[in-house]
Amino acid sequence: MGFSESFKQNFIEADRWKYLADGLLTTLEITVFAVLIGMALGFLVAIVRCTYKKTGKLRPLDIICRIYLTVIRGTPVVVQLLIIYFVIFASVPISKTLVAVIAFGINSGAYVAEIVRGGIMAVDNGQLEAGRSLGLSYRRTMLYIVLPQALRTVLPALANECIVLLKETSVAGYIAIADLTKGGDIIRSQTFSPFLPLISVAVIYLVIVMFLTYLVSRLERRLAVNGRR
Amino acid sequence: MRTKSAVCMFIAAAIAGAMLSSCGAPENTVHSVDDLKGKTIGVQIGTTGDTLAGDIEDGKVEKYNKYSDAVQALKQGKVDAVIIDKDTADVFVGKNSDVQLLDEGFADESYAIAINLDNAELQTQINGALAELDKEGTLKAIKDSYDGEEKGERYKSPENADRSKGTLVMATNAEFPPYESREGDEFVGIDVDMMNAVCDKLGYQLKIDDMAFDSVIPAVQSHKADVGVAGLSVTEDRKKNVLFSDEYTVTHLVVMVRKDK
Repeated sequence: MGFSESFKQNFIEADRWKYLADGLLTTLEITVFAVLIGMALGFLVAIVRCTYKKTGKLRPLDIICRIYLTVIRGTPVVVQLLIIYFVIFASVPISKTLVAVIAFGINSGAYVAEIVRGGIMAVDNGQLEAGRSLGLSYRRTMLYIVLPQALRTVLPALANECIVLLKETSVAGYIAIADLTKGGDIIRSQTFSPFLPLISVAVIYLVIVMFLTYLVSRLERRLAVNGRR
Repeated sequence: MRTKSAVCMFIAAAIAGAMLSSCGAPENTVHSVDDLKGKTIGVQIGTTGDTLAGDIEDGKVEKYNKYSDAVQALKQGKVDAVIIDKDTADVFVGKNSDVQLLDEGFADESYAIAINLDNAELQTQINGALAELDKEGTLKAIKDSYDGEEKGERYKSPENADRSKGTLVMATNAEFPPYESREGDEFVGIDVDMMNAVCDKLGYQLKIDDMAFDSVIPAVQSHKADVGVAGLSVTEDRKKNVLFSDEYTVTHLVVMVRKDK
């Protein structure tokens, strides 16, 4: 079969390109919302853990956070996704995309938490002491002095986490979500030709990731200009 | 110490909550094939059920990687019905008391062995072997040993079987009882025993390669396997991509739904 013929069979016939287009939208939707949940969760966990480390307060919360980190980072994301879909939301009528958003968000949160915690710990303790001795409360010192500095160190790593998450969502097909990867699989299951569907799925991921990487590198350059260190 | 026990209580409560939420699936709403209109239908990706479900009016098709996942989703009320092959459906119904089959069949179909398009010689050999096995009654005995009224003894290769022609690789998806499934380390099922019998006739050693269902035909196409035997129904689309042997089972698709309360 020639290339153009194969192209026609895989994408034009029966509007098969729509599987990829719809799949791409689903993938992006899951990624964007999961990133939001992951960031919120990650910052929260990181702040709890640093607060405990620096002041000794919030011990019970710190223990819960440590369990969360251990469990989430110690199990594969596919297994977490299946558990959330088939065990936790067993009989709850809930949209599958939402299940995926929750699963990937919770998963990403654990990694974000460790990145952010590293960033906060990397800010010299003198900054915190200076803030406190100027009469700022711990919360204000954290919010206005430590976190902004930490954020600058971790931004590139956080952006990388988004890129990783985008690729990890490719397992969403396990719970019958028609994401980009599954879209390619559906075409493959109908046309039995592996080459074009797989390669085009790969190229689409690659293009998105290259675009995101480009944004990250611009971000890094800007941060370097403003940095005084 | 107190915080630790508080954490334990918290986790226990979370697990208990999760368990509680797993009872009480919604009532069955599908009582005939016509009722499928506008419903959410679970299928296994790449099966004939998948293809046919796409033609149902306003139907929403959820493509699972495995039948067992689709049935799980049905039991939990995530889909309204599952379109599935009759014999496999019977096995699932036997193991799950909360699902049933509609009396009305969905579509007729028949299974055959898939062979690479350029291997017409193997197709001829396999057809010859199948015809012999059919004449001897071996095929029927194999089928009866899995789903007959009285389960007879399973097929055993003769001890002095000829293996001079080397190995024959069979691509399958061992999640499809009674045709193929795993029992411990071993593959069992009608397809497995039938292929062993075919290999004994032809002088091959059978090697089974377990994979996702929608990879079976591509594996045959790309010469990763010599034959694809996975309860494969003969369809026009598939015929363009692989050769099929003579049909060895005539069966039909059925609709699985939750049991009426």
